Amino acid sequence: MPVPDLFSAMMKEEWRIHATIFGSAGFAFFPVVVAIFAFAGSLALPLFSDTLPSTAMAMLALAFFLLAGVMVGSFGTMGREFMNRRFGQASLVAYASRSLPLSERRIFATFIVKDTVYYILLYVLPAAAGFTAAAPFIALDPIWGLRAFVSLALAFLIGLSAVCLLSTLYARSIGLLAGTVVVLAGAGLAALGMNAVFPPYAFLIDPAPGSLALSLILILVPAAASVLLVTVDYPDRTKRFTNRFEPLAERLCPLGSAHFIAKDALDLSRSEGGAGKVIFSFILPLGLVWVCLRILIRFIPGIDPLVVFAILLGVISATIYNWLTEFDSFTSYAFLPVEVSAVIDGKLKSYAIANLLPVAVLVLAAASAGGAGSLLPALAAFLSVSVYTLAVTVYLCGLSPNIMLYHAWVFLRYVLMISPALLLLIFASLLDPAYAFGSLFLVPAAGLLIARARSKWQAWDMPGY
Amino acid sequence: MRQMIEATELTKNYGNVAAVNGISFSVMEGELFGLLGPNGSGKTTMIRMLTGQVRPTAGSARVMGLDPAEDPIGVRQLIGIVPEQETPPSFLTAEEYLHFVARIRNLDRIDERCDRWFDLLGFQEKRDVLCKDLSRGTRQKLMVAQAFLHEPRLVLIDEPLINLDPIVQRTVKDFLQEYVRDGGTVLISTHILEIAEEICDRVGVLHDGKLLYCGQTEGLAGPGRSLERSFLDLVRGDAGA
Repeated sequence: MPVPDLFSAMMKEEWRIHATIFGSAGFAFFPVVVAIFAFAGSLALPLFSDTLPSTAMAMLALAFFLLAGVMVGSFGTMGREFMNRRFGQASLVAYASRSLPLSERRIFATFIVKDTVYYILLYVLPAAAGFTAAAPFIALDPIWGLRAFVSLALAFLIGLSAVCLLSTLYARSIGLLAGTVVVLAGAGLAALGMNAVFPPYAFLIDPAPGSLALSLILILVPAAASVLLVTVDYPDRTKRFTNRFEPLAERLCPLGSAHFIAKDALDLSRSEGGAGKVIFSFILPLGLVWVCLRILIRFIPGIDPLVVFAILLGVISATIYNWLTEFDSFTSYAFLPVEVSAVIDGKLKSYAIANLLPVAVLVLAAASAGGAGSLLPALAAFLSVSVYTLAVTVYLCGLSPNIMLYHAWVFLRYVLMISPALLLLIFASLLDPAYAFGSLFLVPAAGLLIARARSKWQAWDMPGY
Repeated sequence: MRQMIEATELTKNYGNVAAVNGISFSVMEGELFGLLGPNGSGKTTMIRMLTGQVRPTAGSARVMGLDPAEDPIGVRQLIGIVPEQETPPSFLTAEEYLHFVARIRNLDRIDERCDRWFDLLGFQEKRDVLCKDLSRGTRQKLMVAQAFLHEPRLVLIDEPLINLDPIVQRTVKDFLQEYVRDGGTVLISTHILEIAEEICDRVGVLHDGKLLYCGQTEGLAGPGRSLERSFLDLVRGDAGA
């Protein structure tokens, strides 16, 4: 099969995966929603100009797209089991090397190109379009829209290609991955020490060929290396396990919902990716956020990075719920004597236990940054934001956040329900870290949302088995 | 004999489409009742209404004395259900899945119950294999096992023998007949006429959401006519009407 045909098949497949779930219109409007938010956000930029220099805002936007690239890359390389669960034994084109005369390398290379084109159309182009449309209203030359598009795309692709490389190394050996991460972290710190500028940012400020070339090197080299080193393991040996469920459920009995928590724990520990999932969709984005905050301190001297980190950690931690629901749906329980609300309760308890991980990350961050003084407000902010974001996710998406958040209407409501509270908290904490305790007002709101989620999903007419 | 299932004018509309259209029938204790019909005739929707998974648009049902629309959990506590398509959770082993179901149902003697079903359906050697690695047939065996784990008096099975090899099909058919002889009640839905002809006492024929026939299996075929011939005449006659 020629590469263009393979690419075209992958593009169609990606579209249909989403479109079959909530209709073509529901998915097609997703970029429109992104554009509307970008437009509204851009119009609001002058309001923040006193607090945050425009250069810092640009850096944050690029960091956000870098993070988006990391997240898309980690799902793309680890999402097979999720797809199998949702769509039966998914015969996606990406896994065709078992049945068709196509090399894994060619498929993987096309897959990266497909993700590049698809997600630039889905996220980057609409965001840049929204910014461009707003430019005349905030006294900016619309040419900045084009510069923003190129630099956001570069930032997104740097994240995507870096994760492709890291996940390829992870598939070969964890030691190789750990070594590479250490080298990359060292190089990153050295670059920070030399006051080096993130190349897409440099391109945005001054679109010189040098920064564009450097950005492209940061994209193409990891991408090419990941294609060259790619290895796909098709295990032919059936895995067997002794019954670990029963003893685990027995030990968890005091918590209630023990069987649900035990099942979640086994799903998580035995599923593909395992530790990789934690590294690529949690630790890596968190590391990125931490680095960005350290940079941000340069622009906003009064900022308490630990509190802001805690708030963002709360949002990112809600992705743990995605891991917990990856292999579940309400229909899996429809033939058993169990209430939907009991399933939700089980997930909440699993989530609470899994949140010990981000709490540990927060404590470590506090210890490393010497921010013990603001640890308490940071903890309050983290817990409140984590619980609230989780509640919004459960209310809007039930057990299908990985899919439902691509529905334009659901995504719109998600952003509208979370971002105002988040922005308010971040700005309040800029004034005084102690204001982070104000985040506790989110806890009763979360309780209300969870109660409504229970009745909403209980009343939901399941589409089929 | 008491009525185990009683459907009265049950109707389910999805938008403008009537998936089930005013159907009434009953299943008595100790009966093996078959819902026959081509794909899309409304069999699965009927089972989902009887088990409280979807609420009927109109009409009512009683299952073992309970209204599944009002008390779905109560109904599912009493009965067993084998869905047509659902696969067990991917990352539990077959044995762990049965333990999971047993805990949901608050059962005792879990190991003993599991052993019985692994032996009866012949997949003892697969008990420690992850569900995702099981063949379709073995998954179907597992779903049959979970439905009978609590020894219910009524079991509803959507396409009971799908994906099973002929040896296990024979085992399941024999088991279902023995279960009914011992006083159990079974409602199966199938589009495979031979199954209904071989094991069902009575059948209901569904087509386009309507019940075209309800009565003795032999009564559907009629003297000198095959069940297949009669079924096709019935369904095609309805389609042409």
